[in-house]
Amino acid sequence: MFKKFDEKESVSGVQQLKSSVQKGIRTKLLEQFPHIEQYVDLILPKKDAFKIIRCHDHIEILVNGNGDHLFFRQRDGPWMPSLRLLHKFPFFLPMEQVDKGAIRFVLSGANIMCPGLTSPGACMTPAEKGTIVAIMAEGKQHALAIGMTFLSSDDILKVNKGVGVENCHYLNDGLWQMKPCK
Amino acid sequence: MKPLCVMTDVPEHLISGPKTGINYPLTVQYCGNCSMPIEYCEYYPDYEKCKIWLEKNLPTEFSKVKLEDTDNGATDDDKKRQKRGGKGIMKAKKSKDDGPKKVCVSRAPRGKKKSVTVVTGLSTFDIDLKVAAKYFGTKFACGSSVTGDDEIVIQGDVKDDLFAVIPEKWPEIDEIDDLGDQKR
Repeated sequence: MFKKFDEKESVSGVQQLKSSVQKGIRTKLLEQFPHIEQYVDLILPKKDAFKIIRCHDHIEILVNGNGDHLFFRQRDGPWMPSLRLLHKFPFFLPMEQVDKGAIRFVLSGANIMCPGLTSPGACMTPAEKGTIVAIMAEGKQHALAIGMTFLSSDDILKVNKGVGVENCHYLNDGLWQMKPCK
Repeated sequence: MKPLCVMTDVPEHLISGPKTGINYPLTVQYCGNCSMPIEYCEYYPDYEKCKIWLEKNLPTEFSKVKLEDTDNGATDDDKKRQKRGGKGIMKAKKSKDDGPKKVCVSRAPRGKKKSVTVVTGLSTFDIDLKVAAKYFGTKFACGSSVTGDDEIVIQGDVKDDLFAVIPEKWPEIDEIDDLGDQKR
C-alpha cells in the first residue's frame, strides 16, 4: 500500500476532525481491537485534537496532536495501526511469525507467502480471512510489517502456496519514513 | 527455535493481549541510520553505516549485536534454511548529501523601487521551511513565504541583516553565499 508512497506527492490534504467523528473512530477501534481498551486513553487522549491526512488511493492516516501517525486505512476498510504505534503497544494484533529467510523479502515490500508461514521457524496463530495481523520474525522481538490475511490460517496450512498475508505496511516504506505532520 | 507445525502450539510471545508486569507504552530503540529497530539493521543494504552509528551512539547495543554475530555464524544458517529465489534486496535511502550544503541569499526587484529577498538552500540543513519563513516574517516585520521546493521569499530588502540573523538562529549554518541582485 505504501510501497510507492511519497510524502510530497501522495498527500492531498490534512483535515481537523470533529469531535463527533473522533468518537466514532474511537468506538470503531475499540470494537476492532478489544485489547486496547485499557490503554485507549494513552493512544487516543480524549482532549487531543486529531487530524486526518488524506492521501491518494483513498488512504487516510489518523494523526494525533503531536503529528505522530497512529492508524491508517484504505477506503472504508479496517483501521490498521502504524508500526511505530504497534512497537509501543505490541499486543493488540494477532501475530504471525515468518521464518528468517522471508525477512528481507518482507522488508522490501513483498506479500507474505504461505511457505514462509508454515516452515519450521515460522509460527501461526489462528486467524480468519481478512484480519489485520502483525508480522513478526523468527528470532526478532519487534514486528516488521502489518498485513491483512488473504487466507484463513487453516487454509494457509492446507494450500501452502502463493500469497498468505497481504503486506500493507512494513519497515522503511513510505508511511514509516513520513515525517510527523504538523 | 523448535519447529512448530501444530497450530495449537502457540509460543507465549505470540499470544496477543497485554502482558502482565510490563508497562506500556514500550520504547523501542531505532537505528539512526536506517530508522528501523536495531535488530533489523542487518537487513539494511548499508549495514556498515548502521554499525558505525551504533558504535557511536549506543555502545551497549553494539556489543550485543557483535556477540550475536559471532554466536550463530553463517554455517548453520545456510544449512537449515531453504533457499529462495529473487533478489529481495531493499533499496537504500537515497543519500541526501548530493549537493553542497550552503545557503544562498539574493535580492530580486519588485516593481520600480522595491525589492524582495530570496533565500535558498535552507532545506539542505534539514530546516523546516515553513517555520523558517514564519521566523523571518516576525523578525523583520514583513511578509515571508515558502515559494518553492527550497526557496523562501522575504518581502523587502533584508539581505544584509540575514548574514547576522541566520547563523544566530541556526548555528550549524556557517556558509552563506551572496548572489547579489537578480535581474528581472
